[in-house]
Amino acid sequence: MTIWKISLQNIKTRPLYTFLSVFTLSLSIALLLGIQQLKTSFEHQMENNLGAIDLVIGAKGSPLQLVLASVLHLDNPTGNILYKDAKKISKSPLIKTAVPISYGDNYKGYKIIGTTGEFVSLYNAKLEKGSVVKKSMEVILGHTVAAQLDLKVGETFLSSHGLIENDIEVHSESLTVVGILKPTQKVIDRLIITNLESVWDVHHHDNEVHEKEKNHMEYHEGKEITSLLVSFRNPSALLTLPRRINKHTYMQAALPKYELDRLYQYTGVGFKTISWIAYIILVISCMTVFISLYKMVKERAFDLALLRTYGASNFQLIRMVVYEGVLIVFLALILGLALSKIGVYFMFKITETDNKQNILQELPFHELLQTVMLVFSMIVLSVLLAIYPIIKMNISTILSNEK
Amino acid sequence: MIQTDNLTFRYKKTECTFCFPNIDLKEQENLLILGKSGIGKTTLLHLLAGLLPPVSGKIVMEGVDINSLSHGQLDKFRGQNIGLVFQKSHAVQSLNTVENLQARLFFSKKSKNNILINNLLNQLGLDDCKKSKVNELSEGQLQRLGIALSVVHNPKVILADEPTSNLDDDNCKIVIELLINQAKRTNANLIVITHDHRIKSLFSNSIIL
Repeated sequence: MTIWKISLQNIKTRPLYTFLSVFTLSLSIALLLGIQQLKTSFEHQMENNLGAIDLVIGAKGSPLQLVLASVLHLDNPTGNILYKDAKKISKSPLIKTAVPISYGDNYKGYKIIGTTGEFVSLYNAKLEKGSVVKKSMEVILGHTVAAQLDLKVGETFLSSHGLIENDIEVHSESLTVVGILKPTQKVIDRLIITNLESVWDVHHHDNEVHEKEKNHMEYHEGKEITSLLVSFRNPSALLTLPRRINKHTYMQAALPKYELDRLYQYTGVGFKTISWIAYIILVISCMTVFISLYKMVKERAFDLALLRTYGASNFQLIRMVVYEGVLIVFLALILGLALSKIGVYFMFKITETDNKQNILQELPFHELLQTVMLVFSMIVLSVLLAIYPIIKMNISTILSNEK
Repeated sequence: MIQTDNLTFRYKKTECTFCFPNIDLKEQENLLILGKSGIGKTTLLHLLAGLLPPVSGKIVMEGVDINSLSHGQLDKFRGQNIGLVFQKSHAVQSLNTVENLQARLFFSKKSKNNILINNLLNQLGLDDCKKSKVNELSEGQLQRLGIALSVVHNPKVILADEPTSNLDDDNCKIVIELLINQAKRTNANLIVITHDHRIKSLFSNSIIL
């Protein structure tokens, strides 16, 4: 017989209250942890996807849209810019690398990016199989694309026009897979990468069909790209380059980090609301724990007085109540952790199919600890309130009033 | 062994002061304290058990002045040396019969002794309800469990507060005889406080408040 055992028996004799306490507490823990994990994963993934990109230059329009489209590959591009203008900018001494990308097609929903060899190094991606793109109509696949579509080196497929999967506007030239990239956990995993010429050629031939009067020369003069991904030679470029482009050209320059911070501010409202709901549930659950323990102390006053006559000290009775609180919190923590893990897992199962990307991120330990400490301190408060009657208990009066 | 010397007590909210006659019991001596309701019988019992501090006077039990002990020491002393029996028996609701006895031993810092517990339950006819929760026991079984709880740790003094007042004649005799036998077995002093004159004949030693 130990105090632990008595605490455990006390809990067992109050199944409803114990269930309520554990349930509400674990719900709030699950919500708090889940929302933190979602937020961390979301932000981490966004930041990860930036790779070495400091600046995006594209057609005028919404800078956020430009970043979403060209960096995160989530949205439609703002429009096109002339390749020769982009080339002019990339000669600036402030720029370390400037990678042009060109959009237009997809294969089964996965975007096909026309770009140069440097694109892959922006994400530190390495080839797993095959070789790099050497000539037009060759592609390398991001790891997720290859796995999901079950495409192997040497196989060919037909791309379709636009950025959304469709069977109506299918291009006639087939693309050949020449390489597959290793997984990077970055956005490149879900892209199909080819060279700029492939994109131009596909659309050039289409244009020939539609606009036969346009000659080849004219077309190549007006070669277009979607945007230019820039990484700076040094951070001071941040101050001058975007302003110069925005002011003096028909193009716009957007800073991905800045735009993403703006995006967090919008999405932050949702995270905050859910966090507040979680905090409110936490308070309610702590009240439930308090009421459960307080009720025990009050209703079982005679039992407690009896234990005092058995030789139990006040401190031992307090320990008994504290242990009950600890047992409830312990159960709730395990259940809460499990619930949040399951919840977040399913959230990602759902978003995975939308984004074609898995972005689940483990919660850093210090944030986990923070939540656990918060829950613990709330419970400590509830327990302290509940044990107050024990300290004030007058055994003689309680025993005299026995009926 | 228990001696009291000029014990007085007063409840904070009232004017009247209880003055109690001196008690002097040698080893194995029993005492019946008779008195009408409201005369301070339970108060005296609680003073003897160290649950209330006297306004003046002294209680010496087994050579220890219990009012000179600190709270912690008194808790320990009470747990080891005193067994209390109540008018209506009580045991901890969330524990079963055996667990209650184990808890009693645990808190009085005595080692867990299952043979002793089994013997005691056997003597009191509680063999069949070892695993029963307290609320599953009948009144009579609960009364006997109360007695078991008051003697399981081999106390030096057994204090019984109206142990027979709601029992019929037969059960009254059985309960008192059990108490006397258990006191004899553990060499303890038995002090019974009651207004029940039926049990007077079973005690050689009695005082009237």
